Amino acid sequence: MDTTDTNKALAQVLARLDAIDARLDQIVDRQKKSDELFSEMTPILRDVMGTATTRLDELDKKGYFAFGREALGVADRVITGFAPEDVRQLGDAVVGILQTVRALTQPNVLEIASQASEVLERSEQAEPLGLIGMVRATRDDDVQKGMAVMMDVMRHVGRAARAVRDEHRPSAADEKKAKLAGVLGPRKKKALGVERQLPPTVAPRAAAPANLGPPAACAVPSSKPREVAAVIDGVAFGADGHLVDPKVWTEEIAVKVAAVQGVELDESRWAVVRFARADFVATNVSPNIRRITQGTSLATKDIYTLFPKAPARTVARIAGIPKPAGCI
Amino acid sequence: METANNKRKVAIICSHGGLDEVYPALILGNAARQSGIDAFVFFTFWGLDAITTSKVDHLHVNLAGNAASGMPTILGGLPGMESFAASMMKKQMTELDLPTVKEMLQILEESGAELYACELAMKMFKRTREDLLPQVKDVITAGDFYDLAEGAQIIFT
Repeated sequence: MDTTDTNKALAQVLARLDAIDARLDQIVDRQKKSDELFSEMTPILRDVMGTATTRLDELDKKGYFAFGREALGVADRVITGFAPEDVRQLGDAVVGILQTVRALTQPNVLEIASQASEVLERSEQAEPLGLIGMVRATRDDDVQKGMAVMMDVMRHVGRAARAVRDEHRPSAADEKKAKLAGVLGPRKKKALGVERQLPPTVAPRAAAPANLGPPAACAVPSSKPREVAAVIDGVAFGADGHLVDPKVWTEEIAVKVAAVQGVELDESRWAVVRFARADFVATNVSPNIRRITQGTSLATKDIYTLFPKAPARTVARIAGIPKPAGCI
Repeated sequence: METANNKRKVAIICSHGGLDEVYPALILGNAARQSGIDAFVFFTFWGLDAITTSKVDHLHVNLAGNAASGMPTILGGLPGMESFAASMMKKQMTELDLPTVKEMLQILEESGAELYACELAMKMFKRTREDLLPQVKDVITAGDFYDLAEGAQIIFT
Protein backbone atom coordinates (compact mmCIF):
# COMPACT_ATOMS: atom_id res chain seq x y z
CA MET A 1 0.00 0.00 0.00
CA ASP A 2 1.56 3.40 -0.91
CA THR A 3 1.44 6.58 1.13
CA THR A 4 -1.57 8.20 -0.59
CA ASP A 5 -3.65 5.08 -0.03
CA THR A 6 -2.60 4.98 3.60
CA ASN A 7 -3.46 8.68 4.00
CA LYS A 8 -6.86 8.11 2.43
CA ALA A 9 -7.53 5.19 4.71
CA LEU A 10 -6.42 7.20 7.73
CA ALA A 11 -8.66 10.11 6.69
CA GLN A 12 -11.59 7.69 6.47
CA VAL A 13 -10.83 6.28 9.89
CA LEU A 14 -10.64 9.82 11.32
CA ALA A 15 -13.93 10.81 9.68
CA ARG A 16 -15.56 7.74 11.17
CA LEU A 17 -14.12 8.51 14.59
CA ASP A 18 -15.58 12.04 14.33
CA ALA A 19 -18.98 10.56 13.53
CA ILE A 20 -18.73 8.22 16.55
CA ASP A 21 -17.71 11.16 18.74
CA ALA A 22 -20.75 13.21 17.63
CA ARG A 23 -23.02 10.28 18.27
CA LEU A 24 -21.52 9.77 21.72
CA ASP A 25 -22.20 13.44 22.55
CA GLN A 26 -25.83 12.89 21.60
CA ILE A 27 -26.05 9.82 23.79
CA VAL A 28 -24.51 11.65 26.75
CA ASP A 29 -27.02 14.52 26.28
CA ARG A 30 -29.92 12.13 26.20
CA GLN A 31 -28.54 10.33 29.27
CA LYS A 32 -28.41 13.65 31.14
CA LYS A 33 -32.04 14.39 30.32
CA SER A 34 -33.20 10.99 31.43
CA ASP A 35 -31.15 11.35 34.61
CA GLU A 36 -33.13 14.52 35.46
CA LEU A 37 -36.37 12.69 34.86
CA PHE A 38 -35.22 9.84 37.08
CA SER A 39 -34.23 12.14 39.92
CA GLU A 40 -37.71 13.65 39.85
CA MET A 41 -39.37 10.27 39.63
CA THR A 42 -37.30 8.58 42.34
CA PRO A 43 -39.22 9.84 45.43
CA ILE A 44 -42.53 9.09 43.72
CA LEU A 45 -41.40 5.63 42.66
CA ARG A 46 -40.21 4.88 46.18
CA ASP A 47 -43.52 5.91 47.62
CA VAL A 48 -45.39 3.79 45.14
CA MET A 49 -43.19 0.79 45.88
CA GLY A 50 -43.58 1.24 49.63
CA THR A 51 -47.36 1.45 49.34
CA ALA A 52 -47.49 -1.52 47.03
CA THR A 53 -45.58 -3.67 49.51
CA THR A 54 -47.81 -2.77 52.47
CA ARG A 55 -50.94 -3.23 50.38
CA LEU A 56 -49.90 -6.70 49.29
CA ASP A 57 -48.93 -7.54 52.83
CA GLU A 58 -52.36 -6.49 54.06
CA LEU A 59 -54.03 -8.54 51.40
CA ASP A 60 -51.99 -11.52 52.45
CA LYS A 61 -53.06 -11.07 56.07
CA LYS A 62 -56.72 -10.67 55.25
CA GLY A 63 -56.60 -13.81 53.20
CA TYR A 64 -58.44 -15.19 50.25
CA PHE A 65 -61.94 -13.87 50.98
CA ALA A 66 -60.97 -10.23 51.38
CA PHE A 67 -58.99 -10.56 48.21
CA GLY A 68 -61.95 -12.18 46.45
CA ARG A 69 -64.23 -9.33 47.50
CA GLU A 70 -61.79 -6.82 46.05
CA ALA A 71 -61.54 -8.89 42.88
CA LEU A 72 -65.35 -8.95 42.58
CA GLY A 73 -65.37 -5.16 42.69
CA VAL A 74 -62.81 -5.09 39.95
CA ALA A 75 -64.76 -7.63 37.96
CA ASP A 76 -67.87 -5.48 38.29
CA ARG A 77 -66.11 -2.55 36.71
CA VAL A 78 -64.58 -4.75 34.06
CA ILE A 79 -67.94 -6.21 33.05
CA THR A 80 -69.36 -2.76 32.41
CA GLY A 81 -66.34 -1.69 30.36
CA PHE A 82 -65.35 -4.79 28.39
CA ALA A 83 -66.86 -7.40 26.15
CA PRO A 84 -67.14 -11.00 27.51
CA GLU A 85 -64.27 -12.11 25.25
CA ASP A 86 -61.94 -9.46 26.74
CA VAL A 87 -62.80 -10.57 30.27
CA ARG A 88 -62.02 -14.20 29.49
CA GLN A 89 -58.61 -13.17 28.24
CA LEU A 90 -57.99 -11.01 31.31
CA GLY A 91 -59.01 -13.88 33.58
CA ASP A 92 -56.42 -16.09 31.92
CA ALA A 93 -53.76 -13.44 32.45
CA VAL A 94 -54.62 -12.48 36.04
CA VAL A 95 -52.61 -15.26 37.69
CA GLY A 96 -49.57 -14.38 35.60
CA ILE A 97 -49.91 -10.70 36.46
CA LEU A 98 -50.17 -11.42 40.17
CA GLN A 99 -47.19 -13.74 40.05
CA THR A 100 -45.15 -11.04 38.34
CA VAL A 101 -46.14 -8.44 40.92
CA ARG A 102 -45.28 -10.85 43.72
CA ALA A 103 -41.88 -11.62 42.20
CA LEU A 104 -41.20 -7.90 41.78
CA THR A 105 -42.00 -7.16 45.40
CA GLN A 106 -39.78 -9.81 46.96
CA PRO A 107 -37.50 -8.15 49.58
CA ASN A 108 -34.29 -8.85 47.66
CA VAL A 109 -35.72 -7.44 44.43
CA LEU A 110 -36.95 -4.36 46.27
CA GLU A 111 -33.54 -4.01 47.90
CA ILE A 112 -31.89 -3.89 44.48
CA ALA A 113 -34.48 -1.41 43.22
CA SER A 114 -34.03 0.81 46.26
CA GLN A 115 -30.22 0.76 45.92
CA ALA A 116 -30.51 1.63 42.25
CA SER A 117 -32.89 4.50 42.98
CA GLU A 118 -30.48 5.83 45.61
CA VAL A 119 -27.77 5.95 42.97
CA LEU A 120 -30.14 7.80 40.64
CA GLU A 121 -30.83 10.28 43.42
CA ARG A 122 -27.13 11.09 43.60
CA SER A 123 -26.87 11.31 39.82
CA GLU A 124 -25.65 14.92 39.72
CA GLN A 125 -22.48 13.84 41.55
CA ALA A 126 -21.63 11.35 38.84
CA GLU A 127 -18.74 12.29 36.57
CA PRO A 128 -19.40 12.27 32.82
CA LEU A 129 -18.04 9.05 31.35
CA GLY A 130 -16.35 8.63 27.97
CA LEU A 131 -15.70 5.52 25.94
CA ILE A 132 -12.39 4.84 27.72
CA GLY A 133 -14.03 5.36 31.10
CA MET A 134 -16.74 2.92 30.11
CA VAL A 135 -14.18 0.29 29.20
CA ARG A 136 -12.32 0.92 32.45
CA ALA A 137 -15.55 0.61 34.43
CA THR A 138 -16.14 -2.85 32.97
CA ARG A 139 -13.05 -4.08 34.83
CA ASP A 140 -14.87 -3.63 38.12
CA ASP A 141 -16.23 -6.94 39.43
CA ASP A 142 -19.55 -5.39 40.47
CA VAL A 143 -20.03 -3.74 37.09
CA GLN A 144 -19.29 -7.07 35.41
CA LYS A 145 -21.85 -8.79 37.60
CA GLY A 146 -24.37 -6.05 36.83
CA MET A 147 -23.69 -6.41 33.12
CA ALA A 148 -24.21 -10.17 33.36
CA VAL A 149 -27.57 -9.60 35.07
CA MET A 150 -28.58 -6.99 32.49
CA MET A 151 -27.57 -9.29 29.64
CA ASP A 152 -29.60 -12.09 31.16
CA VAL A 153 -32.63 -9.79 31.49
CA MET A 154 -32.14 -8.67 27.89
CA ARG A 155 -31.89 -12.26 26.70
CA HIS A 156 -35.15 -13.13 28.43
CA VAL A 157 -36.89 -10.02 27.11
CA GLY A 158 -35.69 -10.87 23.61
CA ARG A 159 -36.80 -14.48 23.93
CA ALA A 160 -40.22 -13.42 25.20
CA ALA A 161 -40.55 -10.84 22.42
CA ARG A 162 -39.72 -13.45 19.82
CA ALA A 163 -42.17 -15.90 21.35
CA VAL A 164 -44.93 -13.26 21.21
CA ARG A 165 -44.07 -12.41 17.62
CA ASP A 166 -43.90 -16.06 16.54
CA GLU A 167 -47.27 -16.67 18.11
CA HIS A 168 -48.82 -13.97 15.96
CA ARG A 169 -47.41 -14.60 12.53
CA PRO A 170 -44.18 -15.46 10.78
CA SER A 171 -42.86 -12.14 9.51
CA ALA A 172 -41.22 -11.48 6.19
CA ALA A 173 -37.86 -11.16 7.93
CA ASP A 174 -38.33 -14.61 9.45
CA GLU A 175 -39.05 -16.14 6.09
CA LYS A 176 -35.93 -14.48 4.74
CA LYS A 177 -33.92 -15.80 7.67
CA ALA A 178 -35.30 -19.30 7.20
CA LYS A 179 -34.32 -19.16 3.56
CA LEU A 180 -30.83 -17.97 4.45
CA ALA A 181 -30.48 -20.64 7.11
CA GLY A 182 -31.38 -23.23 4.53
CA VAL A 183 -28.49 -22.03 2.41
CA LEU A 184 -25.93 -21.28 5.12
CA GLY A 185 -26.73 -24.02 7.60
CA PRO A 186 -27.45 -23.49 11.32
CA ARG A 187 -26.03 -20.37 12.93
CA LYS A 188 -23.59 -20.62 15.78
CA LYS A 189 -25.10 -19.65 19.09
CA LYS A 190 -23.09 -17.16 21.10
CA ALA A 191 -23.28 -17.20 24.88
CA LEU A 192 -23.45 -13.50 25.76
CA GLY A 193 -23.18 -12.21 29.29
CA VAL A 194 -22.62 -15.63 30.77
CA GLU A 195 -20.85 -15.13 34.05
CA ARG A 196 -17.21 -15.97 33.87
CA GLN A 197 -16.13 -19.07 35.73
CA LEU A 198 -13.26 -18.21 38.01
CA PRO A 199 -10.58 -20.87 38.27
CA PRO A 200 -10.49 -22.64 41.63
CA THR A 201 -8.12 -20.91 44.03
CA VAL A 202 -5.78 -23.83 44.52
CA ALA A 203 -5.97 -27.21 42.85
CA PRO A 204 -6.91 -29.90 45.34
CA ARG A 205 -4.03 -32.11 46.35
CA ALA A 206 -4.08 -35.76 45.56
CA ALA A 207 -4.71 -37.69 48.75
CA ALA A 208 -2.75 -40.72 47.61
CA PRO A 209 -0.29 -41.50 44.82
CA ALA A 210 -2.59 -40.79 41.92
CA ASN A 211 -2.47 -41.82 38.33
CA LEU A 212 -0.39 -38.95 37.05
CA GLY A 213 -0.37 -38.15 33.37
CA PRO A 214 2.86 -37.81 31.43
CA PRO A 215 5.20 -35.13 32.78
CA ALA A 216 4.86 -31.61 31.37
CA ALA A 217 6.80 -30.92 28.20
CA CYS A 218 9.01 -28.35 29.93
CA ALA A 219 10.21 -30.95 32.43
CA VAL A 220 11.79 -33.23 29.83
CA PRO A 221 15.57 -33.17 30.29
CA SER A 222 18.13 -32.60 27.55
CA SER A 223 19.60 -35.71 26.02
CA LYS A 224 23.24 -34.72 26.46
CA PRO A 225 25.57 -37.71 26.96
CA ARG A 226 26.58 -37.94 30.61
CA GLU A 227 30.23 -37.95 31.59
CA VAL A 228 31.70 -39.84 34.51
CA ALA A 229 33.29 -37.40 36.97
CA ALA A 230 34.07 -39.77 39.84
CA VAL A 231 33.87 -43.48 40.63
CA ILE A 232 33.20 -44.22 44.31
CA ASP A 233 33.08 -47.87 45.48
CA GLY A 234 32.67 -48.93 41.85
CA VAL A 235 29.67 -46.61 41.28
CA ALA A 236 30.03 -43.89 38.63
CA PHE A 237 28.80 -40.36 39.47
CA GLY A 238 28.45 -37.37 37.14
CA ALA A 239 29.83 -33.93 37.89
CA ASP A 240 26.43 -32.86 39.24
CA GLY A 241 26.50 -35.60 41.87
CA HIS A 242 23.87 -37.81 40.21
CA LEU A 243 24.35 -41.44 39.22
CA VAL A 244 25.53 -41.79 35.64
CA ASP A 245 23.51 -44.97 35.11
CA PRO A 246 20.20 -45.06 37.05
CA LYS A 247 20.02 -48.85 36.60
CA VAL A 248 22.91 -49.60 39.00
CA TRP A 249 21.01 -47.98 41.91
CA THR A 250 20.48 -49.98 45.09
CA GLU A 251 19.03 -49.05 48.46
CA GLU A 252 22.54 -49.17 49.97
CA ILE A 253 23.70 -46.53 47.49
CA ALA A 254 20.65 -44.44 48.45
CA VAL A 255 21.57 -44.58 52.15
CA LYS A 256 25.17 -43.60 51.45
CA VAL A 257 24.24 -40.71 49.12
CA ALA A 258 21.66 -39.50 51.66
CA ALA A 259 24.35 -39.45 54.35
CA VAL A 260 26.56 -37.29 52.11
CA GLN A 261 23.57 -34.98 51.46
CA GLY A 262 23.05 -34.68 55.20
CA VAL A 263 19.62 -36.32 55.40
CA GLU A 264 18.67 -39.43 57.30
CA LEU A 265 16.34 -41.72 55.38
CA ASP A 266 13.32 -42.34 57.62
CA GLU A 267 10.07 -43.84 56.38
CA SER A 268 8.54 -40.57 55.11
CA ARG A 269 11.71 -39.70 53.18
CA TRP A 270 11.88 -43.21 51.78
CA ALA A 271 8.33 -42.77 50.51
CA VAL A 272 9.36 -39.70 48.53
CA VAL A 273 12.50 -41.41 47.19
CA ARG A 274 10.51 -44.50 46.16
CA PHE A 275 7.93 -42.34 44.39
CA ALA A 276 10.69 -40.47 42.50
CA ARG A 277 12.33 -43.75 41.55
CA ALA A 278 9.04 -45.32 40.39
CA ASP A 279 8.03 -42.20 38.46
CA PHE A 280 11.40 -42.15 36.70
CA VAL A 281 11.14 -45.81 35.80
CA ALA A 282 7.64 -45.23 34.41
CA THR A 283 8.27 -42.00 32.48
CA ASN A 284 12.07 -41.79 32.08
CA VAL A 285 11.85 -38.25 33.52
CA SER A 286 12.96 -37.22 37.00
CA PRO A 287 10.03 -35.66 38.89
CA ASN A 288 10.27 -32.04 39.97
CA ILE A 289 8.86 -30.78 43.27
CA ARG A 290 5.44 -30.06 41.78
CA ARG A 291 5.17 -33.59 40.47
CA ILE A 292 6.30 -35.04 43.77
CA THR A 293 3.57 -33.07 45.58
CA GLN A 294 1.04 -34.29 43.05
CA GLY A 295 2.18 -37.90 43.27
CA THR A 296 2.50 -38.12 47.07
CA SER A 297 0.12 -36.67 49.61
CA LEU A 298 2.76 -34.18 50.72
CA ALA A 299 2.53 -30.38 50.44
CA THR A 300 5.39 -28.30 49.07
CA LYS A 301 6.09 -27.23 52.65
CA ASP A 302 6.51 -30.85 53.80
CA ILE A 303 8.93 -31.61 50.98
CA TYR A 304 11.08 -28.65 52.02
CA THR A 305 10.94 -29.82 55.64
CA LEU A 306 12.08 -33.33 54.70
CA PHE A 307 14.76 -32.15 52.27
CA PRO A 308 15.54 -28.53 53.19
CA LYS A 309 18.17 -27.82 50.54
CA ALA A 310 17.15 -28.16 46.89
CA PRO A 311 14.57 -30.93 47.53
CA ALA A 312 13.96 -32.28 44.02
CA ARG A 313 17.68 -32.49 43.31
CA THR A 314 18.45 -34.11 46.65
CA VAL A 315 15.68 -36.66 46.12
CA ALA A 316 16.93 -37.36 42.59
CA ARG A 317 20.50 -37.89 43.84
CA ILE A 318 19.32 -40.29 46.54
CA ALA A 319 17.00 -42.09 44.10
CA GLY A 320 19.88 -42.48 41.64
CA ILE A 321 18.10 -40.66 38.82
CA PRO A 322 19.22 -37.65 36.74
CA LYS A 323 18.91 -34.04 37.86
CA PRO A 324 15.31 -32.90 37.32
CA ALA A 325 14.88 -30.42 34.49
CA GLY A 326 12.31 -27.66 34.13
CA CYS A 327 11.58 -24.49 36.01
CA ILE A 328 8.74 -25.38 38.35
CA MET B 1 28.41 -26.98 45.17
CA GLU B 2 25.83 -27.14 47.95
CA THR B 3 28.17 -25.33 50.32
CA ALA B 4 28.55 -22.50 47.83
CA ASN B 5 24.76 -22.31 47.57
CA ASN B 6 24.47 -22.13 51.33
CA LYS B 7 25.68 -18.56 51.23
CA ARG B 8 23.74 -17.54 48.16
CA LYS B 9 20.68 -15.35 48.41
CA VAL B 10 18.61 -13.55 45.79
CA ALA B 11 16.36 -10.54 46.17
CA ILE B 12 13.84 -10.25 43.34
CA ILE B 13 12.01 -6.99 42.68
CA CYS B 14 8.74 -7.39 40.81
CA SER B 15 7.60 -3.96 39.61
CA HIS B 16 5.20 -4.80 36.78
CA GLY B 17 1.77 -6.40 36.88
CA GLY B 18 1.56 -8.08 33.48
CA LEU B 19 1.18 -11.85 33.39
CA ASP B 20 4.39 -12.07 31.37
CA GLU B 21 6.15 -9.81 33.85
CA VAL B 22 5.03 -11.46 37.06
CA TYR B 23 5.81 -15.07 36.07
CA PRO B 24 9.57 -14.54 35.53
CA ALA B 25 9.91 -13.10 39.02
CA LEU B 26 7.98 -15.99 40.57
CA ILE B 27 9.74 -18.67 38.53
CA LEU B 28 13.16 -17.23 39.36
CA GLY B 29 12.23 -17.16 43.04
CA ASN B 30 10.96 -20.72 42.95
CA ALA B 31 13.97 -21.95 40.97
CA ALA B 32 16.23 -20.34 43.56
CA ARG B 33 14.51 -22.21 46.37
CA GLN B 34 14.64 -25.44 44.38
CA SER B 35 18.37 -24.94 43.99
CA GLY B 36 18.80 -24.34 47.71
CA ILE B 37 19.25 -20.59 47.35
CA ASP B 38 17.51 -18.25 49.80
CA ALA B 39 15.06 -15.99 48.02
CA PHE B 40 12.64 -13.19 48.67
CA VAL B 41 10.43 -11.22 46.30
CA PHE B 42 9.64 -7.53 46.75
CA PHE B 43 6.44 -6.43 44.98
CA THR B 44 6.20 -2.76 44.11
CA PHE B 45 4.15 -0.50 41.84
CA TRP B 46 2.08 -2.57 39.40
CA GLY B 47 3.73 -5.69 40.75
CA LEU B 48 1.40 -5.25 43.75
CA ASP B 49 -1.43 -6.55 41.56
CA ALA B 50 0.17 -10.00 41.69
CA ILE B 51 -0.30 -10.18 45.47
CA THR B 52 -3.63 -8.35 45.65
CA THR B 53 -6.46 -10.80 46.27
CA SER B 54 -8.92 -9.15 43.88
CA LYS B 55 -6.40 -8.76 41.03
CA VAL B 56 -4.24 -11.86 41.07
CA ASP B 57 -6.61 -13.91 38.91
CA HIS B 58 -7.07 -11.13 36.36
CA LEU B 59 -3.52 -10.29 35.32
CA HIS B 60 -3.21 -9.38 31.67
CA VAL B 61 -0.52 -9.44 29.02
CA ASN B 62 0.72 -6.07 27.87
CA LEU B 63 0.58 -5.98 24.07
CA ALA B 64 0.96 -2.29 23.21
CA GLY B 65 4.60 -1.48 22.65
CA ASN B 66 5.61 -5.11 22.91
CA ALA B 67 7.63 -5.76 19.78
CA ALA B 68 7.83 -9.50 20.46
CA SER B 69 4.07 -9.98 20.59
CA GLY B 70 4.00 -10.03 16.79
CA MET B 71 1.00 -7.73 16.81
CA PRO B 72 0.97 -4.11 15.64
CA THR B 73 0.81 -1.74 18.60
CA ILE B 74 -2.34 -0.12 17.22
CA LEU B 75 -4.16 -3.49 17.39
CA GLY B 76 -2.72 -4.37 20.78
CA GLY B 77 -4.39 -1.30 22.25
CA LEU B 78 -7.89 -2.35 21.21
CA PRO B 79 -10.24 -3.14 24.10
CA GLY B 80 -10.37 -6.83 24.84
CA MET B 81 -7.08 -7.64 23.12
CA GLU B 82 -5.17 -7.88 26.38
CA SER B 83 -7.70 -10.24 27.92
CA PHE B 84 -7.60 -12.30 24.74
CA ALA B 85 -3.81 -12.53 24.81
CA ALA B 86 -3.89 -13.33 28.52
CA SER B 87 -6.38 -16.13 28.04
CA MET B 88 -4.29 -17.56 25.18
CA MET B 89 -1.20 -17.45 27.36
CA LYS B 90 -3.05 -19.02 30.30
CA LYS B 91 -4.21 -21.84 28.04
CA GLN B 92 -0.65 -22.59 26.96
CA MET B 93 0.52 -22.44 30.56
CA THR B 94 -2.12 -24.98 31.53
CA GLU B 95 -0.84 -27.26 28.77
CA LEU B 96 2.64 -27.01 30.29
CA ASP B 97 1.15 -27.72 33.74
CA LEU B 98 2.38 -24.33 34.91
CA PRO B 99 0.70 -23.35 38.19
CA THR B 100 -1.42 -20.18 38.26
CA VAL B 101 0.06 -17.04 39.77
CA LYS B 102 -1.90 -17.68 42.96
CA GLU B 103 -0.59 -21.25 43.19
CA MET B 104 2.93 -20.09 42.39
CA LEU B 105 2.75 -17.64 45.30
CA GLN B 106 1.58 -20.40 47.59
CA ILE B 107 4.35 -22.72 46.39
CA LEU B 108 6.87 -19.92 46.94
CA GLU B 109 5.69 -19.30 50.47
CA GLU B 110 5.69 -23.01 51.30
CA SER B 111 9.16 -23.42 49.85
CA GLY B 112 10.42 -20.79 52.30
CA ALA B 113 10.71 -17.81 49.96
CA GLU B 114 9.48 -14.60 51.55
CA LEU B 115 7.07 -12.21 49.86
CA TYR B 116 7.06 -8.51 50.68
CA ALA B 117 4.92 -5.59 49.55
CA CYS B 118 6.21 -2.06 49.06
CA GLU B 119 4.80 0.39 51.60
CA LEU B 120 4.96 3.42 49.32
CA ALA B 121 3.24 1.61 46.45
CA MET B 122 0.56 0.40 48.89
CA LYS B 123 -0.15 4.02 49.84
CA MET B 124 -0.12 5.10 46.19
CA PHE B 125 -2.64 2.47 45.16
CA LYS B 126 -4.62 2.90 48.40
CA ARG B 127 -4.35 -0.73 49.41
CA THR B 128 -4.30 -2.14 52.89
CA ARG B 129 -2.80 -5.30 54.34
CA GLU B 130 -6.29 -6.85 54.09
CA ASP B 131 -6.28 -6.44 50.29
CA LEU B 132 -3.18 -8.62 50.01
CA LEU B 133 -2.93 -12.39 49.86
CA PRO B 134 -2.16 -14.14 53.16
CA GLN B 135 1.15 -15.39 51.72
CA VAL B 136 2.61 -11.88 51.92
CA LYS B 137 4.90 -11.77 54.95
CA ASP B 138 5.13 -8.04 55.51
CA VAL B 139 4.80 -4.54 54.09
CA ILE B 140 8.24 -2.95 54.03
CA THR B 141 10.03 0.20 52.88
CA ALA B 142 12.89 0.49 50.40
CA GLY B 143 15.27 0.82 53.35
CA ASP B 144 13.99 -2.43 54.88
CA PHE B 145 14.48 -4.02 51.47
CA TYR B 146 18.20 -3.19 51.55
CA ASP B 147 18.51 -4.55 55.09
CA LEU B 148 16.91 -7.81 53.97
CA ALA B 149 18.92 -7.94 50.75
CA GLU B 150 22.26 -7.74 52.53
CA GLY B 151 24.63 -10.11 50.76
CA ALA B 152 21.98 -10.99 48.18
CA GLN B 153 22.05 -10.73 44.43
CA ILE B 154 19.32 -8.33 43.34
CA ILE B 155 17.19 -9.12 40.30
CA PHE B 156 14.85 -6.46 38.92
CA THR B 157 11.99 -7.64 36.72
